Amino acid sequence: MPWVLLLFIIAVGVGFYVLIYVSAQAQINAVQNGTLPSQPGQLEAMQEALRELRPDRVQSFGVGIVSGIGSVMLIVFAASHVGTEFGWGTLRTLLAHGAGRGQFVLSKSLSLALFALVFMTVGVIAAIVGSYLVTTMANESRDGLDLGAVIDVAARGYYTFLPYMALAALIALWARSAGAAIAAGLVVYFTESLIAGLLIQFNRDFANIVNYGLSRNASALTRVAVTTSASPDPGFAALPDPGQAAIVLGIWTALFIGLAYWRLRTRDVTLG
Amino acid sequence: MSAARLRDYARDVTDDVVLRTSGLTKRFGELTAVDHLDLHVKRGEVVGLLGPNGAGKSTTIGMVLGLVAPTAGSAQVLGHEVATHREQALAGVGAMLEVTSFYPYLTGRDNLVAVALLRGDGALAQVDPLLTRIGLASRGGSKFRTYSLGMRQRLGIASTLLGDPALVILDEPANGLDPAGQREIRELIKELAKEGRGVLLASHLLYEVEQICDRVVVIKKGKLIASGTIAEVTHRGSYYEIAVPDMGRASSALRALPGVTEIRETEAALEVVADAGRGAELNRALAAAGIYASAIVPRTSSLEDVFLELTESGSDAPAAS
Repeated sequence: MPWVLLLFIIAVGVGFYVLIYVSAQAQINAVQNGTLPSQPGQLEAMQEALRELRPDRVQSFGVGIVSGIGSVMLIVFAASHVGTEFGWGTLRTLLAHGAGRGQFVLSKSLSLALFALVFMTVGVIAAIVGSYLVTTMANESRDGLDLGAVIDVAARGYYTFLPYMALAALIALWARSAGAAIAAGLVVYFTESLIAGLLIQFNRDFANIVNYGLSRNASALTRVAVTTSASPDPGFAALPDPGQAAIVLGIWTALFIGLAYWRLRTRDVTLG
Repeated sequence: MSAARLRDYARDVTDDVVLRTSGLTKRFGELTAVDHLDLHVKRGEVVGLLGPNGAGKSTTIGMVLGLVAPTAGSAQVLGHEVATHREQALAGVGAMLEVTSFYPYLTGRDNLVAVALLRGDGALAQVDPLLTRIGLASRGGSKFRTYSLGMRQRLGIASTLLGDPALVILDEPANGLDPAGQREIRELIKELAKEGRGVLLASHLLYEVEQICDRVVVIKKGKLIASGTIAEVTHRGSYYEIAVPDMGRASSALRALPGVTEIRETEAALEVVADAGRGAELNRALAAAGIYASAIVPRTSSLEDVFLELTESGSDAPAAS
């Protein structure tokens, strides 16, 4: 599975650039040739889309794609990484041969964190390659890659992966099932931000509560670096500050790992 | 460590006991899976853990391995309490569980390497010799998922020997093996005992148990119902078959004899349950009563007969020797 995920994020990283370039370029050509009726602002929008593909925008566009798709993929991976130990019965084998429950949780946490790091690195490299590829195809300047900014945004994105992965691992351990953890992890990932947004729209004071959840803090941490290009949404002003976001996400991650250890420590690993 | 535990520990060191459970109990809600179980395994002996399905064998093994937390009682391996000193205790144990589970995407050899890394110093160097010993040298490089059931069992047995454990626990090791494989495993278990290891063997193959175990422990509904050497346990089902012309008078004559615990009348003969080596005494008592037996044949029950009698009867009372 790890190799498949890495190959997939490479394909996504490069593929998104090529796909958007080809479709935007085709529309521009069609408008310019007159085969497609010109809408007001359409040409500018397409040209802006092409500008997003340049190396100097990798930190906003490429890393954003890797972070967005990566979150979902890494939730699936974390759930599977822990859940299969129950499905295969290998947890019993490890414990019966002297591995400790704490050792198990620690090694799973470290290997997940390491994989997420490799995943993000590979994804970002693929995005950079994709950006260079389309600018070469467009015969435009390939200058302007701000590697420092890319690393900064990628590091923030990587950090936001951790609580979601820890949550998926906790659910897998609790339910002794990869499937349940994938489902629950994805539901939390997608619905928490939705519910948080609705609550804030209903009453802005709810921000005081939902700003201690996962999604708002993840948004706060990743959006701060790209505000120059992103148009702020109505709830953006109510996002927690990045420092608080980092602390809250760190606490959630530690809490999920701690709960996973507590659950495994107090659980009988029954025999088949 | 309490004074009683200290005494147990000192005794175990002197007696070469590698595993001792004392009052080991596990309750799952209302269900008592294991009920105050006392057993021990010494170095160099093979102890069979017998019982019908659901008797509590796997739960007992789970508690010995620290996979299942006892509700009461304790399990000690080489004097180390499993509950409180699991790491030290398990350093001396090699265990193969009923369902052999390894990583399917790794080769057999790599799975052994993974276990060896847990077992510590020296275990890595044992991987290849063990693959050879267990007959998997030629398939060590194949993925575990491609293994047959018998090959999986062999790999499981190999994993138990990593780190030279003093106690080897085997839960149904012959599952899925062909007759030749079963014989190999029997020989291997005998070798393990000769090497000075204690072996706890849970098996449904009573023929196998009868051949290789020095002692057996029979449990039912979590309770110990019989224990002792094979001879001691099978003696429980031994009797004399006596052919006499008048069974009623013969029964009266024998019933008064000390050591005669039960007399059953069949169509052809009397079945007299009595201690071994008492055939002449029975004959003398019959002759004294003016009854002349045409045949007195000692019959010995197999372990299977005794096992079925013990586990299918309603009584849960211990019949330990």
